[in-house]
Amino acid sequence: MPWYLYLALKQLFSSGQRLFFTLISIVSVALGVMLLIIVMSVMGGFRYEIRQKIVDTQGDLQVRASGYIQNASSLEKVINTVPGVLASTAFAQGVVMLEKDQKPSFPSIQGLDMRTVEKVIPLNRYIIQGSLQDLDDDSVILSSQLALSLGARVGNAVQIYTPLMLEVAKGQDEVLLPTELKVIGIFEIGHQQLDSSTVIVTLRRMQQLYGLGHGVHGINVRIAASEDADLVTARINAALQKAQGKSIDIMPGLWARSWSELNQEFLWVLQLEKNIMTVILLAVVIVSAFLTMSLLLVLVLKKTREIGLLGALGATRKQIALCFCLQGVSIGVVGTSLGLIFGFTFLHFRNDVVLLVTRFTGSQAILERFYQFSEMPAHTAFSDLVIVVISAIVLSTLAGLIPAFIAARLKPVEALRSE
Amino acid sequence: MSNPVLFAQALVKSYQSGDRRLEVLRGVNLQVLPGETVSIRGESGSGKSTLLHLLAGLDSPENGSIVWGKETNPDAVRSTGYLGMVFQAFYLIPELNARDNILMAKRIQGGLDQAAYARADELLKKVGLSERANHLPSQLSGGECQRVAVARSLMNFPQVIVADEPTGNLDEQTGDSVISLLIDLCADMKTSLVLVTHNPSHAMRTQRQLILKHGVLLEA
Ligand SMILES: Nc1ncnc2c1ncn2[C@@H]1O[C@H](COP(=O)(O)OP(=O)(O)O)[C@@H](O)[C@H]1O
Ligand SMILES: [Mg+2]
Repeated sequence: MPWYLYLALKQLFSSGQRLFFTLISIVSVALGVMLLIIVMSVMGGFRYEIRQKIVDTQGDLQVRASGYIQNASSLEKVINTVPGVLASTAFAQGVVMLEKDQKPSFPSIQGLDMRTVEKVIPLNRYIIQGSLQDLDDDSVILSSQLALSLGARVGNAVQIYTPLMLEVAKGQDEVLLPTELKVIGIFEIGHQQLDSSTVIVTLRRMQQLYGLGHGVHGINVRIAASEDADLVTARINAALQKAQGKSIDIMPGLWARSWSELNQEFLWVLQLEKNIMTVILLAVVIVSAFLTMSLLLVLVLKKTREIGLLGALGATRKQIALCFCLQGVSIGVVGTSLGLIFGFTFLHFRNDVVLLVTRFTGSQAILERFYQFSEMPAHTAFSDLVIVVISAIVLSTLAGLIPAFIAARLKPVEALRSE
Repeated sequence: MSNPVLFAQALVKSYQSGDRRLEVLRGVNLQVLPGETVSIRGESGSGKSTLLHLLAGLDSPENGSIVWGKETNPDAVRSTGYLGMVFQAFYLIPELNARDNILMAKRIQGGLDQAAYARADELLKKVGLSERANHLPSQLSGGECQRVAVARSLMNFPQVIVADEPTGNLDEQTGDSVISLLIDLCADMKTSLVLVTHNPSHAMRTQRQLILKHGVLLEA
């Protein structure tokens, strides 16, 4: 071990007062790092969960046109040949009025292509009663909240009124009968917006309800896990551009968008929140760097004569600077390590902590409603980890640099003379 | 006759304080032979420390030259352990125990090995502090601290030791014993010694006595 590292460690971790100051510096760095890693992970977790749910219900990306897509199967053929694409499925969507025992409700409605949907959307994962396989043209699956508010159970019948009926009603003088469908399943995504009010029917039933003929509203696409959604989206757009007017009809506004593009505003808000929190918490690390710096400055001033002695014993200025700079680095490294340990430990037990807090404040329900997750998510991106570690260590090193510079500038004679 | 371990010629050094120029050394000549012990006396402020710092290569003269054996580059001298230093205020590192303080001289030079540890233990024994090897400076008396400093100055087998009023912070009896130790050890190891002191009886124990007055060195 070079002497300057040896002395740096000895000075930092000697017993007594010094150790106390060292520990304060280390703890302040650790606190900053811990808070950063926890907040970045939890915010990353929200994004990750939301992404998962969006992708599970909408696919990794969607292809839509300005109007209806009339020839979905030829379009799907083009899409499925794009590298990275695993499967695609057509869908139609809208809003209907749904009634059970004179109780009305206005859920959104999804028509799914039963031949291909399961390859794209793992809806079965979210079905808590019944099964997606049982869905036929005369049945529906309700979201759990909708079922709850209507008092509908599996086996009940519900009436569906569609906007098409209004069109027809304007021209003709006939009595309109709603379509009666049987509830065969209930699903729950764990995301309040999606759970609150949705019904799922077959694509064919949806086309009939809306009078779409063979038209669909769009195509959901699933890509391989290793692929980047935005890259595949770009590839699909290129392929669609080439195929239009040849293997598929020219459709105005035919365009693929990735899940992140489709939910841009929402994700942007999440990202903004995360960035702001990161900056605020980085301030904690900066403050601890100043603490470290003042600690080392006091040390340099107190050690002036010893620094002179080291010079007399043959130490070079560079080595003396290193001796003090390494103390900043050590505080940074130890503080960061402790911060990571504390942070990941907290993340490991986060649900117990949240449970404890909510039990004390009686706010579990509020939390769920507000954040739309019953469990606190956490997902630590490697890039976030790198940012936290590097910024903490760089700041601590900078904190050591100024005292080190002052120490190195001392001339041994002057240092030895100082009383 | 062998080469001098220290050969200083016509050293001139002055300090600027405000608009006054203080000429501290006005042509100091000094030659120290191998194994020779020399004492330098002088009033407070006569420039003894200034001279020692020049001799130790910590500062450079405005005029004149110093040769350490054959070396003329002060940085090279400091980085080889050619020279040992003892100060009035000990200058031990408070976080290190007695043995580690002594070893620090070798650590900085590089090449800390088993032999160095053995050397440190041997020196501890010679200064009578074997029992106190693991004690921190704060746990040692002034005299003991200065013994540790003496041991440290000898760690790298120096050719010459310069000591700047090593008894200045010690009571008379302790000071006497430290001087005895220093002179005996230097004789033992055939190391030359340049001793700055106020105390005439300490000065008398060296082979040659000099006085620094009006910026020049005179034989006493
Ligand atoms: N860095 C300095 N700047 C200005 N004057 C100094 C400086 N160092 C020493 N002096 C002056 O030089 C003179 C000699 O100092 P010094 O060598 O310490 O004397 P001694 O060790 O003999 O007491 C003193 O008058 C002191 O005030
Ligand atoms: Mg002096």
